[in-house]
Amino acid sequence: MKKNMAFVGMFGSGKTEIAINMAIKLAKEGKNVALADLDYVSPYFRSREKKPLMEEFGIKVIVPPGKYVWADTPIIPPETFGILSNKKITAILDVGGEEDGIAVLGYLKAFMKNTAVYFVINTKRPFTDTVENIIKYYEKLRNRAKVDFDYIVSNTNLGSETTEEIIKEGEEIVEEVSKRTGVPVAFTAVPSFLKDCDCKFEKFVLERYMELPW
Amino acid sequence: MGEKIMVKGTEAIGEAAIRAGCRVYFGYPITPQSELTEYMSRRMEEVGGVFLQAESEVATVNMMYGASSVGARVMTSTSSPGFSLMQEGISYMANAQLPGVFVDVVRGGPGLGDIQPSQGDYFQIVKGGGHGDYRLPVYSPSSLQEAVELTIHAFDVADKYRTPVVIFADGMMGQMMEPVEFPDPIDPGSLPEKDWALTGAKGRNARYVTSFDIDPYKLEKMNKNLQEKYKKITEEEQKWEEFMTDDMEVLFVAHGTVGRIVKSTVKMARDKGIKAGLFRPISLFPFPYQRLSELADKVDIVMTVEMSAGQMLEDVKLAVLGKARTPFYGRLAGVIPTPGEILEALMKELGR
Repeated sequence: MKKNMAFVGMFGSGKTEIAINMAIKLAKEGKNVALADLDYVSPYFRSREKKPLMEEFGIKVIVPPGKYVWADTPIIPPETFGILSNKKITAILDVGGEEDGIAVLGYLKAFMKNTAVYFVINTKRPFTDTVENIIKYYEKLRNRAKVDFDYIVSNTNLGSETTEEIIKEGEEIVEEVSKRTGVPVAFTAVPSFLKDCDCKFEKFVLERYMELPW
Repeated sequence: MGEKIMVKGTEAIGEAAIRAGCRVYFGYPITPQSELTEYMSRRMEEVGGVFLQAESEVATVNMMYGASSVGARVMTSTSSPGFSLMQEGISYMANAQLPGVFVDVVRGGPGLGDIQPSQGDYFQIVKGGGHGDYRLPVYSPSSLQEAVELTIHAFDVADKYRTPVVIFADGMMGQMMEPVEFPDPIDPGSLPEKDWALTGAKGRNARYVTSFDIDPYKLEKMNKNLQEKYKKITEEEQKWEEFMTDDMEVLFVAHGTVGRIVKSTVKMARDKGIKAGLFRPISLFPFPYQRLSELADKVDIVMTVEMSAGQMLEDVKLAVLGKARTPFYGRLAGVIPTPGEILEALMKELGR
């Protein structure tokens, strides 16, 4: 089992929510967790917004230094290399969306031996609504990152309007993607208000941490 | 309508434009709306449209002028400094009576501005950032479903009145995600033919698209025609939402993202026994003065909330005309006000 996890995918696939939830879960289990926010492509809704919250759980949160934390500049904090290599730390990478966001993994490749890459998919998002489209972007992202993906994460949702049926529909599509690519499905993410729903794959219950201002 | 999907604001607006029959997009990337440019680069290829990344915003707006003059439904999107660069061309388009949809995802502050949400470009967008006597219809959405509807509406208004139209958004509207339902797409070929467009004069009299006449009397006539058009738009195109105004004692006025935040404030105020209401202008030009004036008759306080230093406030004052007090609460530079701090500002006004 690789000790680190990197969450990758298209814009808005749910990488950040899953990364934060995973970090908190592992921290609660007593692991020494560090999360690196490597999203330098999206200006909003990044895990750095929840740094104080994660720190309450004892998670080390790695973000660009000082005032540059809110800048839209491609900063890769140097501590990232340290947490990937340090055997005592479980590192979680929250990677930016699409081809430009995932390019950072190519840069980190020499340090990625101990990191499992999770491809997060929401089939209710544009461009990843069908098996064919998902595979198209799976190839594009993999080629850009120059690393292989270890797992798929089924994260099909419509935010607060998610239903059990929507989750199941997503699982079916993702299962087919898994068959064709040979990449296994690690788990299905479900919102906490559907925590009792039936899932085909292992269930990972998500709290919503990224809030809107109203 | 199709099934619901989960979209970002920028994608909602881009897809709505495609559904409205827009097949020509010009743009230059700028945060926080680059995802819209990127979305169009993918979707225009899929629908057989034109996506062109210009060398600058100045080039973009002049490409809009050209493509619009041959009859295409055209669109661009930008953010504050980019919109500033487009002003000369927008003024030309206004007087040449060329339709086109501009999406401005406003950034925080003058100058470079940060990439956080703001409404500080109200004067520029609503009152005319370019030169001369012109106005632009402006729509400010406060949800992504509304952004879809207003984007499609913007294309219809642009064609109906032959004018550029602006969607006034901010980074929150652009970057947030919500489930959205899109209407069925319009076939661009089914749109009514534009009897003024420059489509080749073979077999008919030549048409003429220009923003200028060297004869001042004729130019004045052109200008007066524009004013007639704005009068008609003012009469026919006002849009707003009222929230809990029936029994209100105090009235908030807020648009876009802040309009949505203030809805939460209204509910919080009512929990404390203060009957608050909200007037949310959706069309900023034409501003719904008449309706706001009627509502102002019912209250002593009309409180404006903006992510600016108080710009829409001037329109609120023009509507209220001294009939009620018009306090203001605003945050600047991309700081988003919380429902709680707005309530606190109201309590201070009420002396409680």
